[in-house]
Amino acid sequence: MSRETMEAVCWHGDRDVRVDEVPRPEIVNPTDAIVEITATAICGSDLHLYNDRVPSMREGDVLGHEPMGEVVEIGDEVENLEIGDRVVVPFTISCGECWFCEQGLYSLCDNSNPNAEIARKMMGHSPAGLFGYSHMMGGYAGGQAEYLRVPYADVGPIKIDSDLSDEQVLFLSDIFPTGYMAAENADIEENDTVAVWGCGPVGQFAIQSARMLGAERVVAIDRVPERLEMASEHADAETIDYADEDVYDRLMELTGGRGPDSCIDAVGTDAHGVGLDGVTDPVKRDVKLQDDHPYVLREAIKCCRKGGTLSVPGVYVGRANVPFGAAMNKALTIKTGQTHVQRYLDPLLETIEDGEIDPSFVVSHEEPLDAAPEMYETFNDKDDDCIKVILTP
Amino acid sequence: MSADAVDSEGETSAAETAAANRERRESDAGQWRRVGTAALGGALVVTGLRRRSLGGTAIALVGGWLSARAVWGLVRPDRDPSASASQAEPELDDDSLTIAESVTVAKPADELSELLSDAETLSRIAEPVVEIESTGEDRQRWTVGAPLDRSVSWEAELTAADAAADLRWESVDESALFDELSVEFREAPGDRGTIATLRLELDPPGSELGRSAIERLDVVPESLGGVALDRFKSLAETGEIPTTEANPSARGEGDLV
Repeated sequence: MSRETMEAVCWHGDRDVRVDEVPRPEIVNPTDAIVEITATAICGSDLHLYNDRVPSMREGDVLGHEPMGEVVEIGDEVENLEIGDRVVVPFTISCGECWFCEQGLYSLCDNSNPNAEIARKMMGHSPAGLFGYSHMMGGYAGGQAEYLRVPYADVGPIKIDSDLSDEQVLFLSDIFPTGYMAAENADIEENDTVAVWGCGPVGQFAIQSARMLGAERVVAIDRVPERLEMASEHADAETIDYADEDVYDRLMELTGGRGPDSCIDAVGTDAHGVGLDGVTDPVKRDVKLQDDHPYVLREAIKCCRKGGTLSVPGVYVGRANVPFGAAMNKALTIKTGQTHVQRYLDPLLETIEDGEIDPSFVVSHEEPLDAAPEMYETFNDKDDDCIKVILTP
Repeated sequence: MSADAVDSEGETSAAETAAANRERRESDAGQWRRVGTAALGGALVVTGLRRRSLGGTAIALVGGWLSARAVWGLVRPDRDPSASASQAEPELDDDSLTIAESVTVAKPADELSELLSDAETLSRIAEPVVEIESTGEDRQRWTVGAPLDRSVSWEAELTAADAAADLRWESVDESALFDELSVEFREAPGDRGTIATLRLELDPPGSELGRSAIERLDVVPESLGGVALDRFKSLAETGEIPTTEANPSARGEGDLV
């Protein structure tokens, strides 16, 4: 008997996503739950997939890792959820039982990636499985769909009992915890200056979180006017438009030649470079001399003060040519990683419930699921002042 | 003299017959192993292609490699069919493949040992490539499916190992694809549980070509042990094995390409 179907956003290749009719997911393991999606966002890291930067994608894969919705089915061993619960689903799939999960390192879960052997061959070890983010990262169908199968359902999803809107809580799935962990990894102390490259959604939450963690000054770096305005308006950030100014010179001017105490790279593999690197990085990637455009990483290493901290929430996929000699000789601390989302869910939900932050400030577009192909293109091209897209199945 | 000669001829004849019988048995065993290896290889290829994922591709590669080794062993022109077993055996030994892989599991050794000595656990770890069923106390039947409804099957016995928690399986039948399979358990440092080390001596016949294939495709043979240990660890720590079986995509249902 053929299964019921649903609409889902599927990857078909470079800049080619479509809404397809696919089988509805079903319970496979006893700790699974099925969630009917009410809101699901397009993440900046989805654009790495959209632009075909991430290895081991397969045509037809269901995208999406920022979903929320209502629990409609649970496996026999699910204890913390009931049918009808309203939940936000973290993008990291974590078992909750392995040594890494017990240390709170949920994105390093030992058990959730069914394709761990492939990841191990490419990276030495396998991180956690992720929703909708390549077969190397598990091959799990994503949440830009009408329904989602959620493995280890007692460990990931957080119940939302209050009447907060989907727009206010949806970003607990990824970008709010990701921005927060980026700021936490920046080791911010009183009177510190923090520079944040990239004022997309993760950058915006990193800027907000840096403020929450006590940064005296936050400098936001981008070239998109509305994104710089948002950083200035919502977090009182000073701004640098890298298309108009030399970032190093301006940061040295702002910090009396010391450099920012902490630098956050919220851009990752697809950085737009300027100058010679801006020309050579794409060529090197095309001829397979490197896998990433590490322009921001290079600039952050150069700008960061001696003994400072570099935090990297931006996604990189492989080999990147960076000046590690400068990082070593300047004694920088570098912290990175996919977000341990489950660790941050309760405390960050509390900040939303307390009114300390309203994450819906980043939303620029809210459209039906059918509009996904146009919305990917709009978000990718930064047209129509697009900062964050929510899709509603 | 003549009687002596007759006796001598008779003794020689009996010795030759015994040797010929031994050679035939051992040759048959080698043949079975080749057929078994081809079957395992074929099963892996079919399974891998059916899954149509990167994991499936890895399985298919393993299968293709094993099949190639087996077929090469069957048709290799420099193999003299009249060669004695004592000559052939070292070649088999030379071509055997030892897999050794370790994993750290957040459970005590005795619990892991009990779990792994259960035929159902073994079957869940080995599926869909190998089916394992209990045939009595400490005995299991291992079956590898092959295309065209053929299969290779053999009995393995759980035997005493050096340490109390360690496990060791020895094949009872000549058609077995492994001579010995063992899992050793030792305490991990700190609070990290137990280090489980799997050693598997696969004995597919082969050749220098097969050996060079191992070296070129070093990713592939080790994958057998790595994948098995991943599945065992997940089962021990969480009670389930992660899967994308029935995964939806625009290609249809299941873990498809």
